[in-house]
Amino acid sequence: MLSLFLTRMVLIVGRSLIGSLSNNLLGVKSSHETTGKLTHQCIFSQLRTFIQMRTNLKVVDNSGAKRVMCIQALKGRRGARLGDTIIASVKEAQPRGKVKKGEVVYGVVVRAAMQKGRCDGSEIKFDDNAVVLVNKQGEPIGTRVYGPVPHELRKKKHVKILTLAEHIA
Amino acid sequence: MRLEKCWFCSSTVYPGHGIQFVRNDAKIFRFCRSKCHKNFKMKRNPRKVKWTKAYRRLHGKDMTQDSTFEFERKRNRPERYDRNVAEKTLIAIKKIDKIRVAREARHHKMRMKGKQAIERQAALTELEKSIDLVKAPASLLQESQITPKIKVKVADTQPQVEHMEE
Repeated sequence: MLSLFLTRMVLIVGRSLIGSLSNNLLGVKSSHETTGKLTHQCIFSQLRTFIQMRTNLKVVDNSGAKRVMCIQALKGRRGARLGDTIIASVKEAQPRGKVKKGEVVYGVVVRAAMQKGRCDGSEIKFDDNAVVLVNKQGEPIGTRVYGPVPHELRKKKHVKILTLAEHIA
Repeated sequence: MRLEKCWFCSSTVYPGHGIQFVRNDAKIFRFCRSKCHKNFKMKRNPRKVKWTKAYRRLHGKDMTQDSTFEFERKRNRPERYDRNVAEKTLIAIKKIDKIRVAREARHHKMRMKGKQAIERQAALTELEKSIDLVKAPASLLQESQITPKIKVKVADTQPQVEHMEE
């Protein structure tokens, strides 16, 4: 709860900072320097947030899709997190696959850049946002899953994905 | 429950602390606090960062090889719970810690040996060189001119008693 409040505060503060900097009337050289410093800071203080509408995700199974764009997070007002299901639209697909470009599919988030709290109090986060395509019943469309997956999926009853995974984080 | 080691500073991560970062090649990095996590994001090499255990071990500041470290090796086989074993282990942990701390103190002492002699020598040379910072040049000159008092034995002369002439 506290971490959510803090992230919201940082977002507000960050936005106001950026606004004030852009409004500053500086020379060309100095403005470039400040923007450079800002991007430098931005990399360290990157705020990873939920998976929401328009979020691009990587597909990590062999269902045929490569990139998918989230159009709806099924649970959660602010967006989907690690282990949630989303509805997505296929943006990029392999020529001969089970799904085609433009199809609307369901997916389970298996890797999220935003940290998720575990019941022992620690937090886990991954390097990118990745999804495994499933059907309405929750069964994966593909037959292989690449990369590490969290064992949060066990609680969400996605046991099939866990069995297909090569590494459970 | 497992006590992990922080990837950056090698301190123990207790349950409820820290962040785990899983890279796409399935390598897990555990951090004890955000300081270590931020240093990792900056791509700093822990072997070059002075306050980490990795640096200290590499540069010989801390002990590297000791039999007390064997007790803390990671074991992946779960042991069947045995009350006696658990009791004895708790006592053993305390004793091993005591021994390890004593050995580390000895290692530190050995490392610092000879420091006093070097410091004294350095102080002496500094005193000789920069004595003018402490004493005024005039007094230094006076000191070099003052001959030390020497005791000389003088022959015993008769005391001349002057009579007043009437």
